[in-house]
This record gives sequence, C-alpha cells and structure tokens, in this order.
Amino acid sequence: MDIHKLWEYKEYVNVNGFMLSNELISLLQNSLTLLQVENHFSHVQYWGQIYAVDGDYHIAVGITRDALADRRYFYSTDFKFWGLLARPKKKYKQLSLLTTFPFRGDPSLKIKVLDEAMDEQHPDRCQEMREEKRLAATISNICDEAEICARGQLIKQPDGTVVINPNFYGLTGQEAKLLKSYMHIRPAQQRWNSNLLTRQDYNFSMDFLDSIDQDIPSGCWNLSLEQNGTLAYLKSLYWPGMSYFHKIKTPDAGFLYIGNGRKNLDVPFLI
Amino acid sequence: MSKTFMLEPDLIAAGENAMPDLNNDLVLAKNFLKQQSAATADSLYDHLVDIVQKILTQKPPNVVDNFEQYSWEVKQDKFRPNFDLLNDVYLSPPQLAIVRRVDEMFRLVASKSQKMEEVGEEEQELDLEEEDSKPRIADLIDNNYYFKQEFEMKDMPGEGEGMDEDRAHEAEEQKEIMGEGETREEKPKEPVPPKLPPIPISTWQPPPPIPVERPGQGVNKKVYWVCNLPGESWICLPDLTPVQVRVARLSVRCMTGDLDAEIQTFPPFEGTERNYLRAQIARIQAATSISPQGFFTFGSGEEEEDIDMEEGAGDLAFNPNPFYQGHTLKDLLDTNLTYWVHHGRHILKQGRTLWWNPNAGMEEGLEEEEDEGPPPVEPESGPSLFTPLSEDAHLEGLPAWTPRVSSSLSPDRALVSLRSNVWPGAVAYATTGKRSECMYVGWGLKYQPPNFSPLQLPRPEDEYIVGPEVMEMADPTFADEEAYRIAHLPPPPPPELPGEGEGAFGEEEEDED
Repeated sequence: MDIHKLWEYKEYVNVNGFMLSNELISLLQNSLTLLQVENHFSHVQYWGQIYAVDGDYHIAVGITRDALADRRYFYSTDFKFWGLLARPKKKYKQLSLLTTFPFRGDPSLKIKVLDEAMDEQHPDRCQEMREEKRLAATISNICDEAEICARGQLIKQPDGTVVINPNFYGLTGQEAKLLKSYMHIRPAQQRWNSNLLTRQDYNFSMDFLDSIDQDIPSGCWNLSLEQNGTLAYLKSLYWPGMSYFHKIKTPDAGFLYIGNGRKNLDVPFLI
Repeated sequence: MSKTFMLEPDLIAAGENAMPDLNNDLVLAKNFLKQQSAATADSLYDHLVDIVQKILTQKPPNVVDNFEQYSWEVKQDKFRPNFDLLNDVYLSPPQLAIVRRVDEMFRLVASKSQKMEEVGEEEQELDLEEEDSKPRIADLIDNNYYFKQEFEMKDMPGEGEGMDEDRAHEAEEQKEIMGEGETREEKPKEPVPPKLPPIPISTWQPPPPIPVERPGQGVNKKVYWVCNLPGESWICLPDLTPVQVRVARLSVRCMTGDLDAEIQTFPPFEGTERNYLRAQIARIQAATSISPQGFFTFGSGEEEEDIDMEEGAGDLAFNPNPFYQGHTLKDLLDTNLTYWVHHGRHILKQGRTLWWNPNAGMEEGLEEEEDEGPPPVEPESGPSLFTPLSEDAHLEGLPAWTPRVSSSLSPDRALVSLRSNVWPGAVAYATTGKRSECMYVGWGLKYQPPNFSPLQLPRPEDEYIVGPEVMEMADPTFADEEAYRIAHLPPPPPPELPGEGEGAFGEEEEDED
C-alpha cells in the first residue's frame, strides 16, 4: 500500500480483521517518508507485519526505477531505524519453510534449523541461520507466491523496465470477478507467450506477468466482492494473513500481509 | 501512400499550378492526415484530435512516457457503445441494493425500539420484575471504539461470522440417539457346507452415544444467529452434539459461506456447514473467552451465595463483578498473563463441558453382562473456570497469547490487547478502567504447529480366530510328502492282492484333511 494513501486505504484494510491504528499510520507515514527521501525512492509501500514474540516486525518496500527488479525491502521494530533486508539465498528460502517455531523479534538471534529429510550423518542436516536472514527469506517466499497486483497496475515499457502505471484506471466489474485479472509480482515463471495467448484482449505491455488463475490447486485463492461488487478482496489460503484489496474502477489497490510468516501446508484439506 | 496522393486530381492540380505557399502546404498535410483507413474508416487526424482533447481534459502526469497506451485507450473508447445517447438509461450506483437493505434494517430497529418504549411505559406500572426477560444486548458501538484501537469490528468478507446474542430460546429438547448402522451380514446358505471355521461375527460395538447437552447448558448455553451481510435475515444455528465437536477437532476445513454446503471429512461429520460452523464457534468460544482477573465473579456478586457444587459444578453462572476496579497497564501487559483468566468453559474430550459417565447407565440397565461391559472410563476434568492464562499450553516456544499495548506515545489512554496464537483472529482488549471484551474474526482454523495430518484408518480386525486351519505355513515339499508317506505306510502286509493296498492309501489321504 502506498504510504501516502494509508489514511484512505485504512477503511478498506480494516475489513479483514486487521487494524491499522491511527498511531501506527502516523508513525509509518513519518518514518517512511524520511526513508523515501534518504534513498531517493520513487515509491514507498507499506508491506505488512510479521508477528514475533517480543515485538512485531514492520516491513516496507522501496521502489526506485523498476517496479519488479528494483524492489528493496526494509524492516523495523521501532519505526526509527529501518534495516535493509538482503536478497536471500535459495538455501535460506528453503530453510525458512522448514522452521516451525515463531520469530523472536531479535534480528541478530541465531537459530538452528533441522532438516529431517536428510540423513542423520549429513553435515547439512542441522544448519544455523540468523533471524534477519530468515525474515528476508520468509518475505521473499511470500512475495513470490502471494504478492499480487491487478492487471494493468504494472506496465512494461518498450525499454524493458517495469513501472507502476500512473494511468491505471482500475478493473471493471466484470474483470474483477476473474482471477485472470490479477498478476503475481515476480519475474514470470511461464513462457512469455503463454500469458499472452490465454486471453483475447492481450496487451504486450500488461500481460508480461503470470496470472494467479494458473496456481495449483485451483481453489487456493479466495476472491470476494464486497459492497455489491465495488470492492474486491483477494486472500491466499497458503499464506493466511495476506490480503489484497482493489476498489473497482479506481486506481486504489493495495497489498498487505499481517501474520506469523508461516506457510499453511494444509491447503489440500481445506478445499 | 504517395500514390493515392497523386491520384487525387484536385491535389495534383493544386501542386502543379500554385507557387510554394505555406497555406497550401498546410492544406496538403491536413488532407494527408485526413485520409481514411480502409479497415476502420478512421483517420489519423481525428485520432490525434481525440488524443489531444483527452490529454488536455484529463491532464495525466508525464503522459509522454506512456503515450502509446493512451492512444490505445482513445481507440478503445470508440468501440464502447454509449447507451446514454441511444435512450436515457439510468444506471443506478451498485451500492444501491445494499443501501436499501440496511435502510430497511434501520427502520425495523427504529420501529422496534419505539414499540419497546410504549410497552415499557405500560409495564413499568404493572410489574417491575419483568427485567429478567429483557434481552441484554451488548453495546456494539461502544465496544467498537475500543476494538478500533487495535482491531476492527466489521464483517469478514466471505466468512459466516458468529454473533452471540442472548435471546430467549424455546426450542424443545431434542435427544437424538445416534444409531450407528450396525453391520450384520446374512449367512450364506450353500448346499454343501464344507468344513470351514464358523463365519466370523463382528465383535465391534459402537461406543455408547454421548447424550447431547440440553439447550441452555454447557456448549449449548447460547444460541447463535448468523448472516452473511447486515440487513439479511438472521439464521439460527442448530444445537451442537458432542460427536460433532469431536469430529471437528480432527479435521480442518474452510467455510464456504453457504450454510448448506456439504462437509467431507474423515471421520464423517454429521450435518452440513451450519453444524460445522456451530462446532467451530463453540470451540473458539471455549478457548478464547478471556477477561482480566476479577472482571467476572460467581453468583450475582453482590452477596455471597451458596454455590451448589453437587449438580452443576462446571456449569456455574457468573456475572460481571460490580466491585471490579481494573488493573494497571503493567499488570495486564505482563507476559506471564497471570492477570488474565478464561471465562469460557473448557470442552472435554468427550465433546461436552460436563463429563457424562458412560458406565452409570450400563450398570443400572444391564447387570447381566458383567464381563462384557467396557472397562470403566476415567472421568475427565478440564481446567476450572477463571483459570489464569499462564496455565495455557505453549506451542513450540510460542505462548498461547501475545499481549500488545495499543499506544506507546500516550500511555495514559493506552489499552492492552491480547492476540491469540492458538486461534489466529481471536483478540481481547482491556482498559485500565472497567472495560474488557473479546472477539473473533478469522477463518475458523486452529493453528497447528506440525501440519495437519488426517486421522489414520483403524487397523483391520482379524476375520478368523487364528488357529491351525487359517494359519499360514509353508507347503510341504516333495521330500516331506515322501517321508510322510513312507512313515505312514501300512505295515508290510503279507503279499496279497494289490487292490487292497490302494484302498488303504486312499483312506489315509482323507484322514489327512
């Protein structure tokens, strides 16, 4: 969610049982605007919270030029210091899925992760990881699988950079009912033309991302239209706590994750 | 393109006769731009006019960077039919339906409250002791202010949400005895009964059905009404059976929002989604009803009453404590959570809040079968009411509740919120004054640290009593048979007719069977 619109988006977010209190919004707007000025970001978005035992982590995203490749994630526990999260290695991304215990709230804490799938004598069976790395890996996992935008919110320019579309007018009521109109914010994993060929009204500048209707199993996204179809909500069953809202026919849309950072692997039993 | 230009006779004439002239060039250029495309009968000139007009009216920022898309949209607009021009169709805003429904609800509530006032004035004169029958309605708006400090009290989209209301409930007592289908096989009658062991009889007996708790008691103490949207009619959820609670504990499922949706689980769940929703509400209500210590008290609180410990020991009534003074912020925020207590009754493994003794009925009714009865069951007991939260089990180093303060900037006005980690979505708040409330907004799923694994199928029972007839053993080899034959040879008879010898051999084989 764009931090300069948090006050307007507050009422849309509140519906899902989350609540951004007035104090939190004020703090976020202040400190994140400073962060934006320091780093010369063109956009700063509030990404969400990750619950920890001693104090919650607040996550923000800064975008300089390319909305897909130049995303930088920051975390904070006190709204004064925002720490940059490094791009996680693949190893840590896997390890963070294996950990079952909660975040403690201390980024420098060293934790041990046991990979039970490996042999007992294998040297990599028990590995160490700092909580900061785990945080970065968890966020990266969530972004890969659950961070989404409406079709047309991001457009690819002729020189290949991806930008947030300043002329995004919102989805129409018919489009908002289809999962096809929502895209993953990640480098496309399918062939470049498969996303183009699956729709009639294809547009090279918009359909360069994977749409979420290709996700497995088919019921893993919960799309609900509220207020008689003027507001669309999307929730992922894999990452409880993730929500995306879009006010139809307006450029208002936002992604938020508030949860404990744990993937729900019981999805096949739920649907 | 230049060819078509050359073919137009008047343009050729203009080009040949006239001297180079600015006006003339302008006309030529304009004419070129106004050429209609063969496919769409559209001209670039008109298109550019439209684009410039649109840009100047809408004034989007940095339009040059995405000019292509802009031009695309202008073209698209032409293919959209404009209904307003054809006939005056008014499209009402989509919120209209919901506004009407809510408006109707408001009117209903207004008329009811007016009626209540009129009745109340009359009744006040007649009898003053009518107060008990009046429903106690929670002040949602007032509570909402406090929840808004941390949470929100709106409807969860798509989910059936539970609202508990204390309403008079006059449903008749319904005792359904769950007769599990007994499986009896008919004995097949074959003409020639071979020598087989008797057909096995299933010795499995269904466990005795646990009686349902009466309306107004235990898990059925409150009646719940649900609806998908405010303004819709409220639907009453049915009473809960102990079996449903036990099955609901063994399964995970997402609500669909349709009360008649089928529930497919193992073990099978009796009922539709309305029963499942009721079971989840009961479980959540039992686990997440919390309040600061001393907020509620047994009895009416004003006098010391004799508490009847015999019959309803676990079913005591409790009321708000008039002498509750509140705790300090520091006490409420204490991570040990000794200042917070449960006021929801624990549901036992049996699926009831009061333990029901299955042996009691057996001993009275069937004294003949003394040995056959199941072994006596240990009575279950859960934590008593008002147990502090510090007794709650931890989940892999994660305490069951996380306390947070709403504001670090103004501690005078701050309040404490508790977030359940066992039931994500369950929250409670307490001020330093005399206010506290709890609420649940969520998926109706319990947090299970190792992931959910469905119940294993029970081991198949032995069909036959294991004896020499059905025991598996190795076939005798030829050498064994030969040895057996030689060992069982009749004593060497005096040399007689060979026919007798064969007969003896045949008898022997029959004996072997």
